[in-house]
Amino acid sequence: MKHRYQNRIELLQGTLDMLILQTLQWGPQHGYGIGHAIRAHSGELLKVETGSLYPALHRLERQGWVRSEWKTSEAGQRAKYYRITTAGKKQLAGEQQRWEQLAGAIAGIMNRTPEEV
Amino acid sequence: MRWWNRRETELNEEIEAHFRMAVEDGTARGESPEKARSNARRDFGNEALVKEVTRDMWGTRTLERLAADLRYATRMLAKSPGFTAVVVLTLALGIGANTAIFSVIHAALSPLAIPHPERVMLVWSDFPARGWHSIPASGPDFLDWRASGVFSGLAAVTQDGVNLRLPNQTERVDLLRVTADFFSVMESGPQLGRFFTADEMRAGGPPAAVLSDELWHSRFGGATSVVGQSIILDGAPRTVVGVAGRKFPKWQHEQVYTPLVLDADIATSRGTRSLLVTGRVRDGLTIEAAARRMAEIGKRLSHDFPDDEGIVTRLQPIEEGALEDSAELLEVLLGAVGFVLLIACANIANLVLARGTGRVREMTVRAALGAGRWRLARQLLTENLLLAFAGGLAGVIPAWLGIHFIKSFEIESLPQASLISLNWNVVAFNFALAIATGLLFGMVPAWQARKLNMSDTLKAGNRSATAGTHKRLRGTLVVCQVALSMVLLAGAGLMVESFLRMRSAWPGYDSRQLLTMKIALADKQYSEKRAQASFYDRVLSRARGLPGVAKIGATDELPISDNIHGSGVYQPDRPTPRRADIPVALVNSITPDYFDTMRIPLRKGRWFSDADGEGSRLVAVVDEFAAHRLWPNENPLGKPIKLGTKEPVREVVGVVGSVDAPLLVTLLAGRLGQVYLPFAQVPKPGMSLVVRYEGQATPLISAMRDVVRQVDVDQPVFQIRTMDEVRGTDQLPQKLAAYLLTAFAAVALALAGIGIYGVMAYSVGQRTREFGIRMSLGAQPREVWGGVLRQGAVLGVCGIAIGLAGAFGLTRLMGKLLFRIGATDPLTFAGVTLLLAVVTLFAAWLPARRATRVDPVLALREE
Repeated sequence: MKHRYQNRIELLQGTLDMLILQTLQWGPQHGYGIGHAIRAHSGELLKVETGSLYPALHRLERQGWVRSEWKTSEAGQRAKYYRITTAGKKQLAGEQQRWEQLAGAIAGIMNRTPEEV
Repeated sequence: MRWWNRRETELNEEIEAHFRMAVEDGTARGESPEKARSNARRDFGNEALVKEVTRDMWGTRTLERLAADLRYATRMLAKSPGFTAVVVLTLALGIGANTAIFSVIHAALSPLAIPHPERVMLVWSDFPARGWHSIPASGPDFLDWRASGVFSGLAAVTQDGVNLRLPNQTERVDLLRVTADFFSVMESGPQLGRFFTADEMRAGGPPAAVLSDELWHSRFGGATSVVGQSIILDGAPRTVVGVAGRKFPKWQHEQVYTPLVLDADIATSRGTRSLLVTGRVRDGLTIEAAARRMAEIGKRLSHDFPDDEGIVTRLQPIEEGALEDSAELLEVLLGAVGFVLLIACANIANLVLARGTGRVREMTVRAALGAGRWRLARQLLTENLLLAFAGGLAGVIPAWLGIHFIKSFEIESLPQASLISLNWNVVAFNFALAIATGLLFGMVPAWQARKLNMSDTLKAGNRSATAGTHKRLRGTLVVCQVALSMVLLAGAGLMVESFLRMRSAWPGYDSRQLLTMKIALADKQYSEKRAQASFYDRVLSRARGLPGVAKIGATDELPISDNIHGSGVYQPDRPTPRRADIPVALVNSITPDYFDTMRIPLRKGRWFSDADGEGSRLVAVVDEFAAHRLWPNENPLGKPIKLGTKEPVREVVGVVGSVDAPLLVTLLAGRLGQVYLPFAQVPKPGMSLVVRYEGQATPLISAMRDVVRQVDVDQPVFQIRTMDEVRGTDQLPQKLAAYLLTAFAAVALALAGIGIYGVMAYSVGQRTREFGIRMSLGAQPREVWGGVLRQGAVLGVCGIAIGLAGAFGLTRLMGKLLFRIGATDPLTFAGVTLLLAVVTLFAAWLPARRATRVDPVLALREE
């Protein structure tokens, strides 16, 4: 079962990291908020499992792409807020570029008509 | 650690905050609080898993992981205190016993405290034709060897004892006479003063002595003023010139050193062998080259001189020489104790496996939550290492006790016994062993965890898919245990039988109610043979009058002494045989009452009488063995013998029963005949008195001391012991081996029994349902019972068969420790086989009986 999780994390790894970093571009956010934002902005298409979200956040923090601090939310709740770092922004730019290349490449294949093969 | 905890708390808070927000969102959407909460939980998924996987992201910092693993392991072990206690105790005993034996070996193997001890050699003469080895050298041989240039220094020593006069008494101390090169061979300086000067080494030079560290402390209070002080040795003054270093290597137990001057007698007689020779191989010469050169020189000498005919010269590293006497005892003990530990490991592996089977569900759930296989294996290994470490820690206690137990035997042949202690090296060994055992028995379940099959296990409920391989593995472990126990039991059986035989063996005399003591007259005061004779006459006649003394006699060497006074026996009425064929016999000087006191039976002729004096005809008494060897089909009475070519002819007047020589003598020289001469005709300065006493020995001891003091206050009485005590000392190595091997074997037997019981009980427990069905279908209890018993018997028989094969091979190694029993004595082997068979069957029978008590209804409902 661990394998299934690992596979999913692997599949999503680069993408999820990118999505998290992108979300944090708009300002510091806590884990629940990040998950909520990704779901909302993807039109409820992408649902991030907590089992992937928190490990990803802790991993990003360890790599120095995000930094965390305890703050009180608008609702007066204490929560751990994550903020993107300069290194994180650089990483995001790189990933975004790679993603665009990949998306473009896949789109190129998918958009070809059979005659062209 | 605090930092670690903070991170843990933060994670908990973070996830809690997540929940709160999710629930708030839910209620905001109009859900009831309960509904919102359950929805949040469902959305979140498995909390424990999320935490665990998140924690994994914190990095591979081994210390943290180790801390986590250790905490988990401690918790798991604390949950099953019974299991933990049994394992830790078993391990403590196994490891402790090994550590104790190791401490002895560590001391024995410690390099001598001299520079390059590996270049210091003992030079021995062997006489292969007679099967003699390690015999001392003669003066001329020693001088020829020294002239060879093989050694940078070659020294000869002789061991002796001297009477040291102290303020209020005279005491016997052990002496080593050494030639000039001795201290330079050892290359170890004095801690005080100096060693001998050339002037002191010369005949007639100023009399000097060097003290050992031990004597300096015990008799001179460790005062530095001792140097320059005069002491009285054997009635003559000697100046103390120095004190040897604390770690100066001991030849045996020497307490004082004096110069050894090779007088004309020793220096010229090639037939008189009295020197122990040691040398340091010259720089630039390899040990092998030195050994070759010495062998060549030996060959030349044996060719040139009739006295050296058939003698082979051999080098032996000095450290090896020190080990020789006890090597076998140590090997046997180390082997036995290693077996005990292996059995303990097998047993623990079995326990851990049994527990592992019960924990399959726990492991599966953990795996399902995302714990990696390696992680699970590591966790199990951590648990087992923790157990092993606890065992090692607890093992220090039995180790300490064991060390004291072994030291209390004071076995003389153990080299460097004073170094035996629970020192850091030994403690380090203890823990290294603990970790090794942890890996050994922890590996099996950890490896098993690798093969966990989650879905199968979860489906099968408690009945795990790995149970099959577990069972086979546990069966194998039990077979190993039984086999190892078999070897140990065989060894212990032989040792005990041997010890009992030794104890009850009739040595040829009655050792009960017999007190022995030694007197050694100082050469200076009693150089006259007549003075020696009259001293002992006076002592004996006074002692005869003491209350409690039934009979008293004297001999120059007790039959339990390791000193060999041997001599070739020549028959002047026959042609002289070849040198190697000349019979050799032990020769002793005895007083007429000696045989009667010892209760050595007369077979033919007569004992000595007071009439066999200085001026009368020279006579001898031989023992049955010598009589048979010298005159196989003739009457020995009246036959002439000569003890050496230049010795006078003596007439055999009697034949007495044979007396056992000490083990060591028999080992070195084989069985020897014995020739007794009357003390009045062959007086000796040193004699042992034997007193056949009535009542208690203790009051006699001081009475005998008084008698000797009245005759001459300067002559100490020493080594006062009952004959049974002396014989006991001779048997100490065997006694120690018998005790320890028996203890080891008992532990092994118990562990093997527990092992079989465990496997069988587990197997019965697993098959409860099957038994229930079979019984309800009409199977007889006897069939069920027999089936289980058969399963146990198969394990037992396999183990015993393998063990017997091992024992046949291994008990041969203890040959020298055995006494009048073969290394594969069939009766002993049959006995221990039976014992082991009964124990294994009993261990299998207990669970088998339980199988028949299964209530079919209950068994079926249980699932």
